[in-house]
Amino acid sequence: MSDTARDRLADKQAELLRALLAGGPAPAGFDQRALDVEATALLAKRRRVVAQIAPEAAGDLGDRFVPLFDEYARAHPRRDGSRAREDAAAFGEWLVARGETAAPRRRWWRFGR
Amino acid sequence: MGERLGVGIGWRSEIDLTVERLPGVDFVEVVAENLHHDHLPESLRILRERGLPVLPHAVSLSLGGADPVDPARVEHLAAVAQLLDAPLASDHICFVRAGGLDSGHLMPVPRTRDALDVLTANVRTTQAGLGVPLALENIAALLEWPDAELTEAQFLTELVERTDCLLLIDVANMWANARNLGQDPVDLLDGLPLERVAYVHVAGGVEIDGVYHDTHAHPVPREVLDLLAELCARTEPPGVLLERDDRYPADAVLADELAAIRAVVRA
Repeated sequence: MSDTARDRLADKQAELLRALLAGGPAPAGFDQRALDVEATALLAKRRRVVAQIAPEAAGDLGDRFVPLFDEYARAHPRRDGSRAREDAAAFGEWLVARGETAAPRRRWWRFGR
Repeated sequence: MGERLGVGIGWRSEIDLTVERLPGVDFVEVVAENLHHDHLPESLRILRERGLPVLPHAVSLSLGGADPVDPARVEHLAAVAQLLDAPLASDHICFVRAGGLDSGHLMPVPRTRDALDVLTANVRTTQAGLGVPLALENIAALLEWPDAELTEAQFLTELVERTDCLLLIDVANMWANARNLGQDPVDLLDGLPLERVAYVHVAGGVEIDGVYHDTHAHPVPREVLDLLAELCARTEPPGVLLERDDRYPADAVLADELAAIRAVVRA
């Protein structure tokens, strides 16, 4: 296999993930509605995983959890090599930095499953 | 081909006791990334002591990704397979990382010669380090790459021919794609090397705004069992496994779903 096959594939896959996760432009030839559905599904999965790791966060925020998480997630796409637990912790730090929640005495994101 | 497995269910820590006491569980599968490489959860130890096969199922190798396979991930899967004394291990035909980003979920690969070449190389690297046969699963995709050079059946068949891998056929994924992308799942079945099937996945999902989502959190649709019946009319799969990952129902509901699968397999 030539390295150029890997290079060509890398460009295509990176372009797709940027579009789905980081607000990048839609790659040519894809169905826009399908891209939207996929982006929404990926965001929902990420949100669900964080809610499972840190149910206290979702519980404390109530109705604000979904819009706040989605805002955080769009601004901070998950990096290659990051872990879900780190994602939950970063969301917790982001909430405090934004003043959305007071810094808790006990940081829930350190005590996740 | 391969070892007889029977009917099984995906082991998850949330339903460990349920899985231990459910009737009619002949084997289980466990997400490899959720295990330590050197010791098992008590529940899996109990199942192994009973002689149940426990198959590690990986989700993070990103075999269809442009990057070479991460040797540490292959080593982990190999260690877990050895710890479980598993007859085989599996991952998906997909990518999860690209351009420094992690999708957090299984993404489809383009059905191009380039992608097949890269996938083949990554699979061979994995097989060389794994120590047990590798089975590869078809995923559910919500979008389709443009400019496909091969059909799904051609792509999978060539992958099998080039790498001698086994197939883990997910009939729920196949049915989801048929619904969402306008493919014919029976045509796909007819184009696959079914003699290479290691086992089969069955799962439930839900339709939202006209799109079927393979959630593993809802009941198994009748149509998915019908597709399993189509597969069983063509080959005798060594095993069929129910995947349930969230919104766990009462034990009796899972028992009924396993019984429904068994009825299809026996028909």
